[in-house]
Amino acid sequence: MNVETLTRPEQTTGKKTQEVVFPFPEEKADDTRQADRNKPVIMEISNIDKSYSANKKVLKDISFDIRKGEVLSIIGPSGAGKSTLLRIINRMIEPNSGSIRFQDKDTLNMKGRSLRNMRTDIGMIFQHYNLVDRLSVFENVLHGRLGYKSSLQGIFSMYSEAEKEKAVEIISELGIEEQIYKRCDELSGGQKQRVGIARALIQDPKIILCDEPIASLDPNSSKIIMEYLRRISRERDITIIVNLHQLDVAKQYSDRIIGLNDGSIVFNDAPEAITAESINRIYGSKLDELIVE
Amino acid sequence: MSTYVDRNSKGNIKISRPNKGQMRFRILLIATVLFTIAGFFMMDYKGLELWPAITGTIENIKDMFLSPQFNQTTFGNAVWQVIVTLSLAFLSTVLGAVLSLFLAFGTAMNLSKPWLSNTIKAFITVVRAVPTVLWVLIFAIAAGLGSVAAVIGMVFHSIAYLVKAYSEAFEEIDEGKIEALRATGSSYTHILFHVVIPQTKSFLIAWTFLRFEINFGVAVAMGAAAGAGGIGYELFMSSGFYYDMNEVGAITYMILIVAIILEVIANKLKAAA
Repeated sequence: MNVETLTRPEQTTGKKTQEVVFPFPEEKADDTRQADRNKPVIMEISNIDKSYSANKKVLKDISFDIRKGEVLSIIGPSGAGKSTLLRIINRMIEPNSGSIRFQDKDTLNMKGRSLRNMRTDIGMIFQHYNLVDRLSVFENVLHGRLGYKSSLQGIFSMYSEAEKEKAVEIISELGIEEQIYKRCDELSGGQKQRVGIARALIQDPKIILCDEPIASLDPNSSKIIMEYLRRISRERDITIIVNLHQLDVAKQYSDRIIGLNDGSIVFNDAPEAITAESINRIYGSKLDELIVE
Repeated sequence: MSTYVDRNSKGNIKISRPNKGQMRFRILLIATVLFTIAGFFMMDYKGLELWPAITGTIENIKDMFLSPQFNQTTFGNAVWQVIVTLSLAFLSTVLGAVLSLFLAFGTAMNLSKPWLSNTIKAFITVVRAVPTVLWVLIFAIAAGLGSVAAVIGMVFHSIAYLVKAYSEAFEEIDEGKIEALRATGSSYTHILFHVVIPQTKSFLIAWTFLRFEINFGVAVAMGAAAGAGGIGYELFMSSGFYYDMNEVGAITYMILIVAIILEVIANKLKAAA
């Protein structure tokens, strides 16, 4: 599993990426934005309400569809409910009312085994990576398979040879195969996030939820992670739903942007359709008052 | 002059404003010092002849530590008795550790329900409040005075100690790591064995070994006080029965050496984990 590492030549793009080493072929990493509006809907979210206390609603009547293989960014100011919305999708947080249809089932009625089954179809990566630092990269990636295991199989780490092969393949694809037996606390932030992506990918998910995946990373690593995420959506037809703080990153990488303000969707369209007026509605301030990298 | 700063009687600025808890603590500290000083004046010194007492004690200590030798027992037997004591300590630590691990899963707030956590904590507090010797004597009613009662009593106290240590280590775990595994569809047991235990392994080993060291000391005492056998019983015989200071010294040295070896092993283990 040899991975092609090449430096992107300066002249092919106008972006300052010459120092970024892409561990995958350049043509695949290219910007192939293709907001395919005809892709099938895989999840329907309707009328979701959520409040943590009686007088403050975090999410108000949220409804939207998620299409197969799209990159969907959720943007909005801090406290708008982005993280809560993301966690309601895989039911890490229970909404107060509403319904979610995923693969022709209502996920909000699920319990126990069927809830765990549903979660195996939805991978998740985090701002702080949330890896078990004292275990190796390999072990952390294989945690993505635990959802398919019985308790006993899980306790004794009984992973099949096929699962291990698949894990090695994904780890190599993400360019961290040299670190495979290293403990996760020895890795850099960008490498940790790639382990996080590998853990989500080995689940064989339909959707990957990304909670501020680049908020703790430097610009270089951020770019690599975003390129990987888009590539995953293109090549594997996996839907990527990503919470972002950076408006320009959202514009550059998404097929669709959802703008949240104070628990309501105030924008839901292609990135090209975003205007100064819609930014004003999302962030509650004028574009020239915002820091846009 | 800022009105937000406090000044003492001399007009110097105070750098902190003690809250209620700190005030109470200060009062407690001052009261402790006063009672201790008062205690010295109120003691009854009538029967005590200070000088012979001091010289006698120094004489005894000299006999113990400068000329240790075995009289009633042999070196080989003493080594065997140390092994018996170590076994008592080992058995009660292992049994205690296994039971504590599962109880600690129920006690840690982030892994358990509040009612379960509080129930176990209440039980643990009661167990810890009663000294080990008393537990041994309580179990001696059923098991008879001896090593069985000693081990049960020591297991009891080991659990009280280790559950607290373990569950506090578990509560330190970053909630995000647990969330990440829940999001993969992992079950509760998967999270225990793939996040909680690996992440706290070095703490678990360190606390368990510390308890083993403590249990060794307790096992010596139990040998003397509860007839559990081992080196503690030999020590009791030579000091309380034969008044043989030289042998007391020899046995003390043996216990000391074992304790040092345990300490060294503990440090090695902690570094390796």
